[in-house]
Amino acid sequence: MSSTDSNTIELRKRMKRKSSFRNDLDAWILFLPSVLVLFLMIWRPTVLGAVWSFFKMNAYTPGDFCGFDNFRKVVTHTQFLPTLWNTVQYVLWSLILGYLPPVLIAVLINEMVHFNNGFRVTIYLPAVIPGIAAMLMWYYIYYPDQTGLLNMVLVKLGMEPFAWLNNPTFVIPGIMIYSTWKGFAGTMLLYYASVQSVSVELYEAALIDGAGIWKRAWHVTKPQLEGILLLCLVNQIIGVFQIMEQPLAMTGGGPNGASISLGYQLYQYGFNSGGKGTGQAMALGVIVFLILMVMTVFYFWLNKRVEDRY
Amino acid sequence: MKRFDNKQTGLLSSADLKTFKGQFIYWLFFAVLIVVCIISLFPAIWTLLTAFKETQEIYGEFSMFPNDMSPSNLWHRISDSWSQLQLADSFINTIVLSVGNTVSTIVVCGFAGYVLSKLKPRGSRVVFTLVVWTMMMPGQIRMVPNYIAMLNFPFASQDSIIPGISLLDTYWPMWLGAAANAFNVILFKNAFDALSQSYVEAGKLDGCGNFGIFFRIMFPLSMPVIIYVSIGALSGAWSDFFSPLLYLDKHAVTPLKIYRLQSDSSIQMNVRFMGFIFSSLPPLLIFLIFQKRIIGGVNIGGVKG
Repeated sequence: MSSTDSNTIELRKRMKRKSSFRNDLDAWILFLPSVLVLFLMIWRPTVLGAVWSFFKMNAYTPGDFCGFDNFRKVVTHTQFLPTLWNTVQYVLWSLILGYLPPVLIAVLINEMVHFNNGFRVTIYLPAVIPGIAAMLMWYYIYYPDQTGLLNMVLVKLGMEPFAWLNNPTFVIPGIMIYSTWKGFAGTMLLYYASVQSVSVELYEAALIDGAGIWKRAWHVTKPQLEGILLLCLVNQIIGVFQIMEQPLAMTGGGPNGASISLGYQLYQYGFNSGGKGTGQAMALGVIVFLILMVMTVFYFWLNKRVEDRY
Repeated sequence: MKRFDNKQTGLLSSADLKTFKGQFIYWLFFAVLIVVCIISLFPAIWTLLTAFKETQEIYGEFSMFPNDMSPSNLWHRISDSWSQLQLADSFINTIVLSVGNTVSTIVVCGFAGYVLSKLKPRGSRVVFTLVVWTMMMPGQIRMVPNYIAMLNFPFASQDSIIPGISLLDTYWPMWLGAAANAFNVILFKNAFDALSQSYVEAGKLDGCGNFGIFFRIMFPLSMPVIIYVSIGALSGAWSDFFSPLLYLDKHAVTPLKIYRLQSDSSIQMNVRFMGFIFSSLPPLLIFLIFQKRIIGGVNIGGVKG
């Protein structure tokens, strides 16, 4: 009696083990394509980029080990520090111009009882236009002669036309004005979701306590948004630090290199140097990677703290 | 006003809106938003108007509106620009590219999200951690190695024993790139997490295998996230110009074609502007059809890792 009992238990166990093996196998079969593509497109190239940055590259074929030669070439290039400073300027201008508007607009739209949806759809339009079309549109808005929109307006108002993107001090803020116009709606929707989730009771409690509109904004809305505000800050810094397409399409790095970013420089090394700069491209990639990895680790630490709080 | 009476209490409450000060602030907010809308729309409107001008108007008159706004002239400008731009091929290429991107990201990331959420085989936790890290990994370090890998796929160097194949001027680099999207994996995982495990158990009791459960139960239930990811992949493919710039030559997609027109001096400014409009129409159409899902869908994405 007891032996048949233990037999059935043993049998069940074995069946369970078999089915769990079968389950794992099925799961890994479903999982395989993703792991394979992530390996081929992300993990391997990241490692290879780091490894090859220490090798002399003959166009697109790795050659001999050359130590820190590529890094030395990148860092001692006379344009390296100006380029790094340009990149920092991009980040600073993007924060000055583009950090607060999305959250403010999200809060305002949340208050609307008219056209609430209409506002969101209209404001989202710049995000829908393909990046390259939008960049070239703005290239013509900033066009240095009267065919450009801004100069057309200036001349109509009786002023001299301005050089806009051809002006070395304006070019970075100018590109960031475009980027803010293009990107703020996406961030705004992110904020909108969290503005909406602020509970009505909190506002009503504040109302009963006699808090005015600004007090409610400061003591109810702001604390609820602090987490996502910090996350978006770090996200924006990491994103803008890698800016590349805008200088590529709008200025070509000009005037006189005033809008070259690290990302654009990397592209030039990698694809516009006749194969001579491939090694430097990878070394620069590693430098950017290390700088941003510090930011990323900080981001994850922050993300965890923010999630623990709510 | 009736709408004011039913307003949910936020910064402004319906009581506030009965006072002059409250109403003033409300309409001030309203005015600010109108200004934001104008800023958002104005460059696009200017582009549209310029596209319909004649060349001599652009270079000679500097006015806002085109002189001749009769329907026949507008239609003439559209058809004339279309024949000069020759975008038809690139439109077809972009459709192939974007459909491929959508299918690959849905299938590959969908499976992966399902595995991570419901099946959880041994060893998948490690991969999940890797995927989360991948999501935040800065991408520029991969640019050149990826290009080298595509020259001799799937081997990363040219002196491997078995010769690889060059994927240049095919859509594979973009398709594979769309499949390798860690963010979409997490998105799918979160969506499947929201579906109860009891669906899986009920399916098992009815004798459904793992694949049956996925295709017959989970797949239909996760339609909202599938649609959301599809929209993202479709409109992403219509906007991406950098990867095509690296990988495509003869099979140029619309964004790349638009970029190249920049250096073609035989194309007049009005025609070029019409090109911007043509290239924006498909994503705009996708947006208008699915605007509810796009604008409401950010909650699925959120900031959760």
